[in-house]
Amino acid sequence: MFLFLHFVIPHRLIPFHALNAGNLKSIFEKLDKTNRIGYSNQYWLGVSSSKSEAGVMSFLSRMFSKQQKKRQDDNIRQDQDPGKPEDLPILRDHKDNINRIKEELGNSTDVVIREYTLGTHKGAIVYFDGLADSKAISDFVLESINENHTEDVLNEPFKFLLEKAVALGDIKVVRDWGKTYQLLLSGETIIFLDGFNKAISGSTRGGERRAISEPTTQLSIRGPKDAFTESIRTNTALIRRRIKSPNLWLESMKIGRVTQTDIGIMYIKGIANEKIVEEIRTRLNRIDMDAIGGSGYIEQLIEDQTWTTFPTTYHTERPDVVASQLVEGRIAIIVDGTPFVITAPALFIQFFQAPDDYYFRFDISTGIRLLRILSFFLALIGPATYVAATTFHQEMIPTTMAIAIAAQRENVPFPAFVEALIMEVVFEILREAGLRLPRAVGQAVSIVGALVIGQAAVQAGFVSPVMVIVVSMTAIANFSTPSFAMAISARLLRFVLMGIATFLGFYGISLGLIFMFLHLCSLRSFGIPYMSPLAPFNIHNQQDALIRFPIFTFTERPHLISKGNIVRTGTNQKPGPPKKSENDSAKKGDQE
Amino acid sequence: MKRTWKILLMIISAVPFLGGCWNQKELTDLAFVMALGVDRGENGHGYKLTFQIVNPGNVTTGQMGGGGGLPIAVYKSSGVNLTDASRNATKEVSRQLYYAHTNVVVISEKLAKKEGISNILDALDRDPVFRTTTQIIIARGTTAEEMLSTLTILDKLPVNNITKSLDVTENMLGENTKITIDDFISGFVSKGKHPIANGFTLVGKKNKGKYKSNIDSTIPEVIIKTDGLAIFKKGKLTGWIDGKEARGAVWVLDKVKGTDVNIDWNGKNNAINLITLRSKTKVTAIVKNDKPVITVSIENEGNVSQADLPIKLTDPDVIGKIERKMEKSIQKEVLGTIKAAQKQRSDIFGFGDVIHRTDPKLWKQLSKDWDNRFADLQVNVKVDSYLRRSGIRTNPFSVDLK
Repeated sequence: MFLFLHFVIPHRLIPFHALNAGNLKSIFEKLDKTNRIGYSNQYWLGVSSSKSEAGVMSFLSRMFSKQQKKRQDDNIRQDQDPGKPEDLPILRDHKDNINRIKEELGNSTDVVIREYTLGTHKGAIVYFDGLADSKAISDFVLESINENHTEDVLNEPFKFLLEKAVALGDIKVVRDWGKTYQLLLSGETIIFLDGFNKAISGSTRGGERRAISEPTTQLSIRGPKDAFTESIRTNTALIRRRIKSPNLWLESMKIGRVTQTDIGIMYIKGIANEKIVEEIRTRLNRIDMDAIGGSGYIEQLIEDQTWTTFPTTYHTERPDVVASQLVEGRIAIIVDGTPFVITAPALFIQFFQAPDDYYFRFDISTGIRLLRILSFFLALIGPATYVAATTFHQEMIPTTMAIAIAAQRENVPFPAFVEALIMEVVFEILREAGLRLPRAVGQAVSIVGALVIGQAAVQAGFVSPVMVIVVSMTAIANFSTPSFAMAISARLLRFVLMGIATFLGFYGISLGLIFMFLHLCSLRSFGIPYMSPLAPFNIHNQQDALIRFPIFTFTERPHLISKGNIVRTGTNQKPGPPKKSENDSAKKGDQE
Repeated sequence: MKRTWKILLMIISAVPFLGGCWNQKELTDLAFVMALGVDRGENGHGYKLTFQIVNPGNVTTGQMGGGGGLPIAVYKSSGVNLTDASRNATKEVSRQLYYAHTNVVVISEKLAKKEGISNILDALDRDPVFRTTTQIIIARGTTAEEMLSTLTILDKLPVNNITKSLDVTENMLGENTKITIDDFISGFVSKGKHPIANGFTLVGKKNKGKYKSNIDSTIPEVIIKTDGLAIFKKGKLTGWIDGKEARGAVWVLDKVKGTDVNIDWNGKNNAINLITLRSKTKVTAIVKNDKPVITVSIENEGNVSQADLPIKLTDPDVIGKIERKMEKSIQKEVLGTIKAAQKQRSDIFGFGDVIHRTDPKLWKQLSKDWDNRFADLQVNVKVDSYLRRSGIRTNPFSVDLK
């Protein structure tokens, strides 16, 4: 119901300049004072609209208020979380340090503590087995420590360790336990030395990692075949390899009280809009949860609008897609442990662009992209149209077809809507089962499904063959959307439209579509209108919207996304044989 | 406040259900009336309607259909007017009569002659479901009931036999042209034009058409056939024009899409056959001495399709001669039709409308007594014919025989 309301009340446009986090609140408060809208709080909740909706929101929040109280109780307990950094200093006695580690990590068996002697000094090396690269530790730390050293070097053992003995690239000095644990858990090796209230941390991150493999969800015929992995460092490297620019900046942070998940924000300085970067930073900093399960969590915690079926951030497992979006001025958010990188801001049309659109010539790409948009709408209104046409608008079906459908439906016991609903639900169950089952069983399920739905149900007369055609058409059309996030949105709305079509026919479908478009136009992704460059229309950014124009016309970046720096190409990039004047000058050059 | 919202939510969530499946009807609850027949009621009172209703299960082949039964069922009902009769039919028909797919309205000749059809048209025109693109035809020499109950061998649905054969004759022969309810009504209300309608007749044993045996033989006992154009005057059928005369009318109405013309050559009758590929007719009026003169100019392109005597078709002079002859032949035919119409005092060509457009003041005088004025209207027919090709031969083989 709330969704319905949300559809009805079009959103107020959020001016782009209002994005700056600092002035956002004051702007909205001002708006509030002028008695226009109740933005100031709702904006952050991802809900923004006129007063009446704010009212609904407050009603909802009051409904949940009990839970909120409970949450506050949780907060008190969470203060003792082990993940909370403790700023206690490292002790001088390395034995004490070792005991402390053992005690605090509960004698976890994967902690390796190796004691050593450097001349007369004793010390210990601590690392996590599996997280750290044990070969690097033995080659570059233990071996150099165990060599025979001259006495005078050993007069300053810590300095010796730091500058000479530990032959690793990235070395830090740590003084407190919070930092120590953080590094330790990231796979680094901590070297304690007796008598010093500080320790050395050497970068030995390693352990088992999945190799780079082919993308599994976003396939491309001609594009590169590498995909992101679960490791954030591999992922940043994949992107950096594609953009060899010092302006490609990477900011890191850790999110999750317990999980301390590594998050990277990548953008190209000078192209990406500073305000959007700042906004993303602010939204990420706001996240205060115990665990970050993956980029899906981050996506849902930073998106502009929760009450929508449409994705307002884009995610991909292809580094080439991320690279091209970075160059367009978008910002990538990389989450450790997830092979999907989030990019923002995301536009509606972006979800219909496949990487192959750019690897093939424009005419083919345009045709295929239009086909994709068509199939999106087919998937959206397919069953709804069937229900509407057969129960309200029989006059619209060509005579022969109407008779054919009537003949097939003659013995079907259900009204068209129930028939459609049953088939669609059964199909959704099959699809879900096929997705969740082990691969070997999945095959069997699809065979059973095809036999049960396609044949037995029709032969038994429970459903008409037309319905099977409609359902399979819808399913195939749905699969052709390149982005899964957008496809499932159509998958859900399909049922809503089907319901409306049952009551109001085509009138209902058009009503539903109008509401859908109103809603789409009201959506924002980090302040950028979701439907741009179509609405608001921008003639300069049409080369990659509905129609994919030839590459040489891609002269400007999306105006709204990379605000200042929009020029992409030099002049006159159009390919072709040399012009006559050029030819002449070239010849002249040869003679000279 | 909380209560208010709860109530509001409930009210809003009820809104979509309040429509309550308005106007919803399942396909299987509808009786698709493919053709509607109108006959004179008993003793001349009211109307008898005939509904050719499709039996979907028997029409489609494949898994679900093809039961082998008859593709149509014909129901009858009577009433004082069309709506009354249609509603009365529900006593017999188990489904709701659905007219959106009705392709043809068949009116019996008797009804059209005696009562006229003006009382029928309003019901057809007013009903939102009934299409005004539905064709109107006259059952010539038979009743609408007999025509609609006749099974046809090539088309499973007999109504398709009527509409398709009209389509084909219009394209290939040019003696008929599609007349929809819309066309008919616009002719009916116009002072300067009389409406026409296509005639269909039954050939053979009329009462045998409704049996399956009719389509169990390669030569059916009864067939449905196009037969002339009916001329209407004040809503009543006043006469028929047939064959070449009908084609002349179609020619003037600029509806000829394709036809063939025979010409004589060197004393041999119908020696050369020419087919028309494109034809364009323009009707203009000029006023001479306060008297209107109508000029019908026909531009006609064609091919040689048959030449049964040695003739040099490679010779441009010969071609020119053939073209002149063709022009003469068409001119004769069209003039003949116009004469016939003038004799019946029925302006089926819409010459009155042309005069109305050219000289509205003059038309005001003429319109009072247009039927008589039309009878002695001066009409010139100008034909321009062009022979474009001679098929896949040049000279006929008889030239080589010499």
